[in-house]
Amino acid sequence: MTTTGTPPTTPSTPPSELVTVTIDGKTQQFPKGTVLLEACNQMGAGVPFFCYHPGLTSPAVCRQCLVDVKGQPKPVPSCYTPVADKMEVMTKSPRALDVRRQMLEFTLVNHPIDCPICDKAGECLLQKHYFDWDAKLARNDGIKVKKAKVVDIGPRIVLDEERCILCTRCIRVCDEVAKTHQLEMADRGDREVLTTAPGHKLDNPYSLNTVDVCPVGALTSKDFRFAMRAWELFTTPSICPGCATGCNVEVHHSRGKIQRLIPRQNDQVNEHWMCDEGRLTYKRVHAERLAAPLSAGAPVDWDKALDDAGRVLRAALDAGAAGVGVVMNAQSTNEDLYALTRLTFDHLGLGKAYLAGLDQGWSDDILVSADKNPNTAGAMAIGAGRLRTLLDLANDLKSGALHTLLVVGTHGVIGKDGAAGALPLDRLTTLVVIGTHRDEVTAAAKVALPLAEWAESDGTFTNRLGMVQRVRAAVPPAGDSLPGWEILSHLARKLGATMELTDAKAVFAEAKQKLPFMKDAEWGRPLLPVQLRFAGSRG
Amino acid sequence: MDTTDGPLVPPQHRRVVLGFKDAEDLDAPDLPTESLPLNMGPSHPAMHGTVRMVLEVEGEKISSADIQIGYLHRCFEKESEAATWTQVFPYTDRLNYISPMLNNVGYALAVEKLMGIADDIPERALFIRVIVGEVSRITDHLTCLGAGAMELGAFTVFLYALKAREWLFELLEEVCGARLTSTYLRIGGVHFDLPPEFGPKLLDILARTRVVMSDIGKLLERNRIFRDRMDGIGIITKEDALAYGITGPVGRSTGLPYDVRKDHPYLVYDRFDFDVPVGSVGDNFDRYAVRVEEVNQSMRILEQALATIPAGPFMINNPRVALPPKSETYNSIEAMIAHFKIIMDGIHVPPGEVYSYTEAGNGELGFYIVSDGSGRPWKCRVRPPCLPAVAVLTKVLPGLFIADVVPTFGMMNMIGGECDR
Repeated sequence: MTTTGTPPTTPSTPPSELVTVTIDGKTQQFPKGTVLLEACNQMGAGVPFFCYHPGLTSPAVCRQCLVDVKGQPKPVPSCYTPVADKMEVMTKSPRALDVRRQMLEFTLVNHPIDCPICDKAGECLLQKHYFDWDAKLARNDGIKVKKAKVVDIGPRIVLDEERCILCTRCIRVCDEVAKTHQLEMADRGDREVLTTAPGHKLDNPYSLNTVDVCPVGALTSKDFRFAMRAWELFTTPSICPGCATGCNVEVHHSRGKIQRLIPRQNDQVNEHWMCDEGRLTYKRVHAERLAAPLSAGAPVDWDKALDDAGRVLRAALDAGAAGVGVVMNAQSTNEDLYALTRLTFDHLGLGKAYLAGLDQGWSDDILVSADKNPNTAGAMAIGAGRLRTLLDLANDLKSGALHTLLVVGTHGVIGKDGAAGALPLDRLTTLVVIGTHRDEVTAAAKVALPLAEWAESDGTFTNRLGMVQRVRAAVPPAGDSLPGWEILSHLARKLGATMELTDAKAVFAEAKQKLPFMKDAEWGRPLLPVQLRFAGSRG
Repeated sequence: MDTTDGPLVPPQHRRVVLGFKDAEDLDAPDLPTESLPLNMGPSHPAMHGTVRMVLEVEGEKISSADIQIGYLHRCFEKESEAATWTQVFPYTDRLNYISPMLNNVGYALAVEKLMGIADDIPERALFIRVIVGEVSRITDHLTCLGAGAMELGAFTVFLYALKAREWLFELLEEVCGARLTSTYLRIGGVHFDLPPEFGPKLLDILARTRVVMSDIGKLLERNRIFRDRMDGIGIITKEDALAYGITGPVGRSTGLPYDVRKDHPYLVYDRFDFDVPVGSVGDNFDRYAVRVEEVNQSMRILEQALATIPAGPFMINNPRVALPPKSETYNSIEAMIAHFKIIMDGIHVPPGEVYSYTEAGNGELGFYIVSDGSGRPWKCRVRPPCLPAVAVLTKVLPGLFIADVVPTFGMMNMIGGECDR
């Protein structure tokens, strides 16, 4: 299974239940039950809206999607109206245009002049709709209603009450996605504000989705607040590495630095949403990275490091291949794991391989999976029963069955509780580590080689449903680090194994041929990062 | 050297090439000569804006010329694809950088044609565009004439011409704040209105420039050194001009009366009375004379334009194209958003393609623009008017003396910024 296609936004119904609708003079058939707004916009009418969201219910509070329907005395809110047979809709009749313009004018009356300091500027629906549908100068020079500008509404979110246009999308996200009613509207008229119940905070594990759905800059993420102008960001589609769910995300980055992750629609995996924890997984890409190869603790260049790694591993293999073990990681991509299994089993003929990964964590039945590794399914399938657990590793270390270990990916090799004693790495004579971060494992290594993180290399992850999803390199690798398959290819050459891997796509193609679970996987077309400013134009 | 077995040099290379009437006059009649490659440029004072010529010379005479351009390539066209439509204006300043306003005009008209708003541009903006454009044409020609004369040793002429150019540049500086990097035009109009007292100042400068032009004429036109390198040198035939697509003063010097302002009037050129000078021989002197006369014609246009320029707005009344007034931008959310969208997302130009052409200092300056409906050009290609004139040098230079290269090249008025883009 792949996730390249965009799923239809309307529920599929038998073709017998089609209704014929005329929109702006063009006639088209739609499945019964389709929301009129979706029908109009599928026909290219571009009807604007604030409160409607394809993943949420429609309360029709913003009145921005009003269209004229023949036979109706008043314009109807298209987000709240299902299509009906022989319906005739005019999205651009003078009356419809006029009421929509008046609604915009009304919405803007008390809107603060915040664009230059607003995090949403550049991706703001209010800006877009005003410029597309109104673009008239203000007729009102009255004093705007003052409200609180900085409300600490939750641990991850700040509310600006003045910017809020009262669309209630955030309330519905909490109700319908996080299944918790934490937000509410208080007061009336131009004093109406968004608020939480007294003594409560907006702290559900999906709270940052409210920032995504906020059409304006009322709700802003504390993590992203004032970090970057949105239109200067570049976007690369990828997969969240936070858990086995494999939410589809867009990595937003600029000048080699990731600024935020936002969910990308995939109805089979995460619909429009992702959890707050997953959004912060990008932090590790820029934290405490192993930037240069280390040999005996000192930074060296790649040639020397590979020579040293090859030499110590060769010596260990000669001393007794039965005592040499390999630790794989469920954080690695399928491509890295495939390269490593080939080296371990096919070329070196080793018998001891272990699978490491981050510890199990909390889960729910919405998105979050207890398995905090993005590619456990892929690792298990590629390992094909040959991988043993970290517990086995600890036992083998204690019993002295291992004298040498090659660790590829250090996430979770030493458990969260830091029980270094539980994994007595000091019993080893040789430890070679290919790792992303400066941690206890790389510190203990004879030779440590810097590995690219998930956002720095191309590859695929297999999620808990067995879907092989594409991860794309968004930012350049930290320091001298390289993708895993490339390091392994170099290392194999030093060990006398012929494993010439040229690029990630070739590794993927080879793995796809050999591994049944990747049979239907697709690499997808090459993409250049698109700047959000021009995201609508090409890319 | 053993010459008993016959000449070492093949007979065809033993031609005598110096300016003597008779080979017998030479002290050493059998002095062998051979073909010699000679590099002119790219770092040569007469190679305006870095161009390289690889000449094959036999003595002083050129047998073949290879003109190599591209030393000033700045990826104008590719860069434009990453800029909003308005952000392209500064790039156009750097095309023909001695008449930047004319490039601004060419680009603005192309985008307006693609947007279909050409008829909505206020009349005053059209007049202002004509005025700054014609002033730029005069600065362009003054530079070409002055530099061309200087390269033949007439330094005084250069100083006179640049003195007049400086008056005009200072006037343009009053208009837009810059002598060269004007970026004065906007899609939909011009950025500022003309400053107060602009008309009288310009008329005064034109009167003084007329004196300068007359002085230049007196210094050059009966000057033997100048005429020797001008008359009958570097002749381009009408047929070649057509075949190479040469336009502008170089094209008109061959007798082709093509002038975009006359043949396909744009802005308000059809309201002015002016003549299109043409040459008859197509030599360097014709190119000189055409430019001198074009300066006079531009002055005529300027005087008529100043007399008839209407009052009124100088920017289109379209909130999706024109920036709102600053007072509104700072004090109302509506204007703030409009300002933000125009600056950050760019003006939205409907999908389509257009070729638009205007008469720039060197001839037909064409912009071929493709839009994908977004805030930036999908493609912005320039037809540089001096490129064909440089191309024809390969045909014109052979047979001339090395000393003829400089004035011939000078009268083509290659501008690196425009030719190499």
